[in-house]
Amino acid sequence: MTMVEREFGEGDSLPAVEKLITQEQIERYAVASGDFNPIHVDHEFAASSQFERTIAHGMLVTASISEMMTLAFGETWSQSGRLKIRFKAPVYPGDRINTFGEVKSVRDRDSTRTVACSIGVRTDNGEVAITGDASVVFPLSNDTAGR
Amino acid sequence: MPIDYGDLTVGQKISDRTHMLDAVLVSQYVDAVEDRTGLCSSVDGRPLVPPMAIAALSLRGVVQDLEIPGGTLHAGQELEFRGAVGVGAELDCSATLAQNSVRGDWRFLMVELVVMDGAGLVVMIGKSTIIIPAS
Repeated sequence: MTMVEREFGEGDSLPAVEKLITQEQIERYAVASGDFNPIHVDHEFAASSQFERTIAHGMLVTASISEMMTLAFGETWSQSGRLKIRFKAPVYPGDRINTFGEVKSVRDRDSTRTVACSIGVRTDNGEVAITGDASVVFPLSNDTAGR
Repeated sequence: MPIDYGDLTVGQKISDRTHMLDAVLVSQYVDAVEDRTGLCSSVDGRPLVPPMAIAALSLRGVVQDLEIPGGTLHAGQELEFRGAVGVGAELDCSATLAQNSVRGDWRFLMVELVVMDGAGLVVMIGKSTIIIPAS
């Protein structure tokens, strides 16, 4: 099981996740998700689109954000995670992506602690592909609260 | 008969499917996204599904039942995970249309997602904004 390694405070960075996106990976994701939109898997179709080549599924790229949140907050991400994102730019096969995340606030209320973060994904050419917010809620009565 | 997206009404249920998130499907997903969290290879006898696999599963029905045309784009996504899901869980994934509008050459559809486990507990909710070529 993934373990949460430390507490996070305001201004802290979340552990970055880096991946190389490949066409082969996009095709594997199409099979796993059932999303065979030709913009992802049909080179001829994609060439005639505004992107001029295939692009990665947004949810494939988003998985790296979820991975970052799991690495930071463990199973709590699965139990109470919230995510709100916008897809700002396409990710192409061959792009290397890096997640980024920063804790914006840590708020205690009643018996819970909410850790809110700004998150996103950037490609290796510096373009921001995804931006948004994410949060997790810990029960304060639990020894793991705030981690 | 292709779907006329202009005929879809807000509040209309557009997908309702039951899926088994078995080990094969989870393994396919983990391999595809190259997830390294180790959630699904737990050594304590309780392997868990990466939460985004639940989201992907819930969108599968939307893509298939709406017969999403080529060139459709995913513009935004909201997700709220409400409970860890174990590998092997049977999930009921439903989707309801929350918005249907046209701006320029594009039709904007917002779809609300609800995923429940076999006990009827909501494990994920979400909203997907997708953009379909209007013509």
